[in-house]
Amino acid sequence: MSNRTLAGAAVALAALAAVPALPFMSKYYLLLAFDALLFGAIAMSLDLLIGYTGLVSFGHAAFFGLGAYATAVCLERKIVSLWICLAAAVVVVGLYALLVSYFATARRGIYFALLTLIFAEVVYTFFRYTQTFGGSDGIQGVPAAELAPGVALDTPLKNYYLVLVFLALAWLTCRTLVGSHFGRVLVAIRENEDRARFLGYNVTRYKMGVCLVSALLTGVAGALYPGRSGFATPDLMLWTVSGEFIIMVMIGGLGTLVGPVIGGVFFVVLQEKVSSYVDWYFIVIGLVLVLIVLFMPKGLLGFRRVQGFAQWRSGQ
Amino acid sequence: MDYLVAVLLPQLLHGLVFGAALGLLALGLTVIFGLLGVMNFAHGELYMLGAYAGIVVVGVTHSFWVALIVAPLLVGVIGAVTEVATLRPLYRREPLYGLILTFGLALAFREAVRQIFGGDMRRILPPIPGSTPLLGMTYPNYRLFLLAISSVLLLAIWLFFTKTRAGIVVRAAVQDAEMLDGLGVDVPRVFTLTFAGAAALAAVAGLLLAPIFTVYPQMGVEMILLAFIVVILGGMGSITGSVVAAFIIGIAQSLLTLWMNPQRVAIAIFGIMIVVLVVRPRGLFGREGVLE
Amino acid sequence: MRAKTLVPVVLALAVIALGAAPASAQKVVKIGDLGSKVGVFEGYGKYQTMAIQMAVEELNAKGGVLGHKIEIISEDDETKPAPAVRKAEKLILQDDVKLLIGAVSSGSTLAVMDVTKKHKVIHWNSVSCAEFMRTTKFHKYYFSNQPDSRMQATGLAKYIVDKMGKKVYIFYTDYAMGQSDGRQFKTALEKLGGDVVGVAGAPLDTKDFSPWFGAINQANPDVLFVAFAGTDSLRLMTQLHSFGMTRKYKLAGIDCFLLQQDLPAIAEPMEGFVQLAHFSPYNQDKNMQAFNARFKKRFGTDANIMAGAYDAVLFWAAAAEKVGSFDADRIAEAQEGMCLDNTHIGRQCIRKEDHQVVMDMHLYQVKGGKNLPIATIAGKDSIGEPMVGKDPVEGFTWEIKKKN
Repeated sequence: MSNRTLAGAAVALAALAAVPALPFMSKYYLLLAFDALLFGAIAMSLDLLIGYTGLVSFGHAAFFGLGAYATAVCLERKIVSLWICLAAAVVVVGLYALLVSYFATARRGIYFALLTLIFAEVVYTFFRYTQTFGGSDGIQGVPAAELAPGVALDTPLKNYYLVLVFLALAWLTCRTLVGSHFGRVLVAIRENEDRARFLGYNVTRYKMGVCLVSALLTGVAGALYPGRSGFATPDLMLWTVSGEFIIMVMIGGLGTLVGPVIGGVFFVVLQEKVSSYVDWYFIVIGLVLVLIVLFMPKGLLGFRRVQGFAQWRSGQ
Repeated sequence: MDYLVAVLLPQLLHGLVFGAALGLLALGLTVIFGLLGVMNFAHGELYMLGAYAGIVVVGVTHSFWVALIVAPLLVGVIGAVTEVATLRPLYRREPLYGLILTFGLALAFREAVRQIFGGDMRRILPPIPGSTPLLGMTYPNYRLFLLAISSVLLLAIWLFFTKTRAGIVVRAAVQDAEMLDGLGVDVPRVFTLTFAGAAALAAVAGLLLAPIFTVYPQMGVEMILLAFIVVILGGMGSITGSVVAAFIIGIAQSLLTLWMNPQRVAIAIFGIMIVVLVVRPRGLFGREGVLE
Repeated sequence: MRAKTLVPVVLALAVIALGAAPASAQKVVKIGDLGSKVGVFEGYGKYQTMAIQMAVEELNAKGGVLGHKIEIISEDDETKPAPAVRKAEKLILQDDVKLLIGAVSSGSTLAVMDVTKKHKVIHWNSVSCAEFMRTTKFHKYYFSNQPDSRMQATGLAKYIVDKMGKKVYIFYTDYAMGQSDGRQFKTALEKLGGDVVGVAGAPLDTKDFSPWFGAINQANPDVLFVAFAGTDSLRLMTQLHSFGMTRKYKLAGIDCFLLQQDLPAIAEPMEGFVQLAHFSPYNQDKNMQAFNARFKKRFGTDANIMAGAYDAVLFWAAAAEKVGSFDADRIAEAQEGMCLDNTHIGRQCIRKEDHQVVMDMHLYQVKGGKNLPIATIAGKDSIGEPMVGKDPVEGFTWEIKKKN
C-alpha cells in the first residue's frame, strides 16, 4: 500500500471524524450518518466478491441479518459486552458463511448467485417464522452494548465513532487483502478461472476464503446495527436488501473498495432524504442501475484502479 | 380411506390449482432464460403489471373476460419495449449482468406502479362466483376454473412449441441462435416476440391469481423466488421441466402442510432447492452444462 | 396513495402555520402521527390521521394548546417494526414532537415504545391490542385507549360460550397481536367451560389461507374465532366464504378485525359476525352519534374504532393545559387518573396504575354490512386487574407463548 493511499485514507478518516462537529448535525442526522457508513462498509466488503473475484452474491443480507440477530439475542439476554456480541456474530456468521461458500463456490456465475440467494432466503424464512426469535416482529428494544463494563455505547455520537472505526479497519483489511498475492489470485480467477486453476491454484479454496472475509465483515457490520437501532427484524435479510447492497456496489464502482462506500452513503442519504413522503427515488435508482449495467458495467467509479490479469503477471 | 378423501384429496387439489398458475409464470421465465440467457428478476413485476393492467381494464369495461385478453397484450407490449431497450445489448455479455439489470428493472416497475396506483391492496372480484360440493367439501368455482384454464393454456403452449413452425423456431433458437441466424431467421425479432409472449403469460398468471391473492405492488416480490425455484428444479431453459416442476412444487407445498406447519414448508422447499442446485444443478430436465 | 393524501395534509397545515405566524406570531407545537399507510393495516393509519386531524382542528380553532398552534407530522411505518422505529426516531429527534400517537400493528407499537421510553415522549396508542403494552413493556410515558386482548376476551368469551356454542376453533395471525388474542381468548373460553377444539396461526400478510382450512374442517367446531386484522381479514373472509365455511360455522373476532368501512364490500361473508368493540357509527349512544355526525361532516365518511386517536390528542392537550407545560414527565403525571367529558364516547377516565383508559365495551353483530350493538359491558367489568410488570404470559401452557 503506497504512502499516498495511506495519506488519503488518513485525510478521509479525519474528515469523517469531524462530521459530528458540523453545525447542522442533529442526533437524527448522526443516526443517518451511522447508517451511511455501515452500509458503505457492507458494500465495500461485497465489492471483494463482485468487483475483485467476479462472484455476485445475492445473499449478503443474510450475513448482515445474522450478525444483527447474534447481537440482539445477546443483548436481550443482558449480555451487554460489545466484544462478546461481536464474537457471537463472528461465530454464527462464520459457520453459516462456511456452509454457504462450501456449496456456492463449487458453482460459477449465475448458479453462485442463485445458491447464495436461496440460502439467504432459508435464513430469512427461519427467522420470520421462529417465535423464539420474535417471528415477524423480530427482537426489539435491546439495551445498548458496553465497550467495557460501565462504558455503554448509548448515544448516536458514540455509535457513530464506533462504526467509523469499524469502517477504517474494514478498509484496511480489504485493502491489504487485495494488495496481497491472495488478492491478485482473486483477480486472476475473475479474469479466467480455468487459467488460474491450470496455473496450479486451488481456485475453490481462494473463493471460499474471500467469501468468508466478505461475509464476516458484513456480519460484524450487522452486529453493530442493533446498538444503533435497538432491534433486529427479519426484514433486514429479505432478498431485496441483498439487491440493494449490489446496487450500492454498482453505483460506486466495481473493484475500487472506496467507490462502494460512496455508493452506500449515497444510497442511504437519497433514501432518507425523500422517503418521508415520496418514494419515486426507487424508480430513479432502478433506472440508474439499468443504465450502469448497460453503459458502465464497471460502475461509476470503476474505470480506474482495477488490477488486471496482465498486471498481475508482470508483477510476479 | 376417510382420511384420503377428506384430507388428502382436497390438499392435492389446492396443490394442482396453485401449481398450474405457477406453471404459467415459470414457463415464460424458463423460455427467456433458455433463449436470452437472462434470469429475469423483473418477471415477478410483469406478473404484477398483469394484475394492475387487469384492474384498469376491468375498471373501463367492467368485464374480467375482456381484461383477460387485453391486459396480457398490454404487458406483452411493455415486455417487447423492455427487451429491445435494455436486454438486447446484453445478449453476448455475462448472464450475471442480466440478473442485475432486471433487478433494477423490477425496482423501477414496482415503484412506478406504487406511484400510479398507490401502495394499498386492491381487489378483483372473481368473475365466477359460488362453489361446488366436491370431495366432501365445498370448493370455490373460481379455483376450479383457474385450474382448467391454466391447464388448457399450458397444453396450448406445449402444442405451440412442438407442432407449429414458429414454436420450433423458438426452440431451435434456445438450442443454437447462431445456427438459426445462418438459416436466415430474423433472430432479434424471435427474441423480442418470445420475451413479449413470456411477459404476456406472466400477466395472465397475475390476473388469474388476483381474485385469490389480491393485488398490491409487492406481489411480484413474493412470487418470483418460487418461480425461480420451479425453473431451477425443472432445469433452466427446459419447457417441459418447468411445467412438471410447477406441479411438483405446488403439490409438495400443499401436501407438506399436512405434516408440518405451513410456515415450515417454505423452508423445506428451499431445502429441496439447495439439494438440487448442489447435486444436480441442471434440474430434472435441463441440458447438461448450461452455465454450470 | 400515501404521498398524495399526506402531502396536502401536511402542506395545508404548514401553510396555515406559516400564514398564521406573521399575523399572530403564534408558536407551534408538533405532534407525531405514526400509522400504517401501506401494508396489512393501511386503512387503520388513514383513519387514525383523520381522527387526529379532527381533534387538532377543533383545538386550534379554540386557540391551540398553551397558546401554541398544533401541527401534525404524519409518517408511515409500512406495518413493520423496523420502519416504525426509524420513523419514530425521525419524529422525535428531527421534528421534536411532544406527543406521538401510534403505531397500528402491535409489533410496531412494542418497538416504538422503546423509542418513546428512551427519549421521554408522551406516547398514545389507540389500536394495538397485545397485552404486553400495559404489563411487561409498560413505561411512564405510555398511555392506551385501545381495549387490549385481555379486555376483549373477558367480554366476548362469555357471549360465545353462552350464545354461540361451546366448541371453538381459534385461528390467529401469528405475531404479537394475534398471539396475544389467541392466548387470552383460549384462557377465557376454557375458564367459562368452553372447549377449544383447535388452534392455528397463520403469518402476518398471508395470501392464501386455504392450506389451513382442512384442519379447521377436521376439528368441526361450532364457532370459528378469528384474530386477524386489515387486508388479512379481508382475504380470510373472502376465502372462508368461497369454501362455504362462513355458513358452516358461527364466526366471532377481535375488535379491529375489519373497519366499518370495509364491511359493505364483503357484507355477505361477514353476516352474523360477532365482535366486541368500543365504537360503531350504528350505535345509538348519543355521544357516539354526536361524534360521528361531526366526523362525517368533516370527512364525508363514518367514524370507526380508530376514533380513539381523537381522544388521545384531547387527553394530552388537557394535561398540558393543566400543568402549563409540554414537559413529558409532568404531562404523564397529570394524565394519570385524568377524566375527560368530551371524548368521542362521552366521559372516560385513565386508570392510574397501567395508564389504560377505562372504556365501556359493546358487543356488535354484523347485519347487512353494519356493526349493530347487541349488548354492553361496563368498562370496569372488562378491564381486569392492573398487571404492570407482571408477565401476562405466565401460566399459559400452550404453544402461543412468545415472550416480550
